[in-house]
Amino acid sequence: MSEPAYVRLMEPPPEQSDAEVVRQVLAGDRDAYRVLVRRYGDLLYRHALRMGGSPDVASELVQRALVRGYQRLDGCRDPERVGAWLFRILSNLALDHVRSPRRRDLALDALPDLPAGAPTPEAETARTEFRERLEGALARLTPEQREAFVLKHVEGLRYEEIGAMMGVSVPALKMRVQRAREALRELLEVYA
Amino acid sequence: MNGDAKDPVSRYLDGDLSREALAPGERDEAEAWDRLLEGVRAQMPAASAPRWLEQRVMAEIGRAPAPSPLRRLWTWLTRPLPLRVSPLAAGLAAAAVAALALVGEGLLPARGGDPASASGTATATVFVQFVLEAPGARSVAVGGDFDGWQGSHTLDDPDGDGVWTGRVPLRPGVHAYMFLVDGAEWVTDPHAQRWSDDGFGNRNALLALTDPSV
Repeated sequence: MSEPAYVRLMEPPPEQSDAEVVRQVLAGDRDAYRVLVRRYGDLLYRHALRMGGSPDVASELVQRALVRGYQRLDGCRDPERVGAWLFRILSNLALDHVRSPRRRDLALDALPDLPAGAPTPEAETARTEFRERLEGALARLTPEQREAFVLKHVEGLRYEEIGAMMGVSVPALKMRVQRAREALRELLEVYA
Repeated sequence: MNGDAKDPVSRYLDGDLSREALAPGERDEAEAWDRLLEGVRAQMPAASAPRWLEQRVMAEIGRAPAPSPLRRLWTWLTRPLPLRVSPLAAGLAAAAVAALALVGEGLLPARGGDPASASGTATATVFVQFVLEAPGARSVAVGGDFDGWQGSHTLDDPDGDGVWTGRVPLRPGVHAYMFLVDGAEWVTDPHAQRWSDDGFGNRNALLALTDPSV
């Protein structure tokens, strides 16, 4: 797994804090916003992908989230945690998109293949089967359950961090993740 | 795992219990879950944002007005047909407008305790702006006797700050309403000044509107 997302969400880099960047932008330095785009762009993009978005859709959602974040930056109540605030804007956009009847179909088949040296045919077949079953299980989740599951078990966030970002109570998040794990339980036999 | 919140393996997966605290059989299941979740993570994309995204964002914000509380205030002040029935922080100006607009048929509390403001047209339709602060909500709608309690008027939270608003055309009169959160939970307006019992243990907020053309 890559570096846990919360490391970058919760610990501003030493050179310039998020709050300093926000102050700079609000003082009229539009270009300073580029720091936030670079700091959080990858994280936001990856989350949009993991919520089931194709690269095109993920790019569009992240662009909209970052532009909206700029336009509403003076409404960010805790500039030290502007990353979490941007994340929430993206989350709302992504959930709206997933619910939209006009959404383009999004699934794990948009994901890149696993890196592998020279897989045997049997391994390739097993991997394909696992991917299909995983896709089917994730498709049964509500967008909220999928989001909670991704943040907990893929991004590696703690429930308290997810709750602070999403404005959802920890018990409610645990319930969503639990439902998601129940949907994945059928895959457990593969690893049992 | 059986869905019980106290299931030890679930508590382990939630980070509330160490693996050492599990019984041997539970530990095997926990290890299987760890391997499965690692497999799920391996299937999830880890790509970086495309390089052109930064340029596009910066180009777009270069054309956008700079963030400014004054600009937002101006935008808010110049919105057409505002009417607040449940402001989060009712100001004197809103109360003054309320007194002017709603005093006609005596439906308001005697001393302007209902922090509302109204405007409308001679067609006897009044546009009411509903406001609910619901930071964790995925969707918020308002429903009442005016739509058969369908919750058909959705509110928006375009900036994701958890404050949901929406404007609904209503006829003059007294209306009962509630907010429908996430399509399932009916919530009483916490800022309503009057209520009625719905007979099921909940309180419907009451909204009184007079014909502004009278």
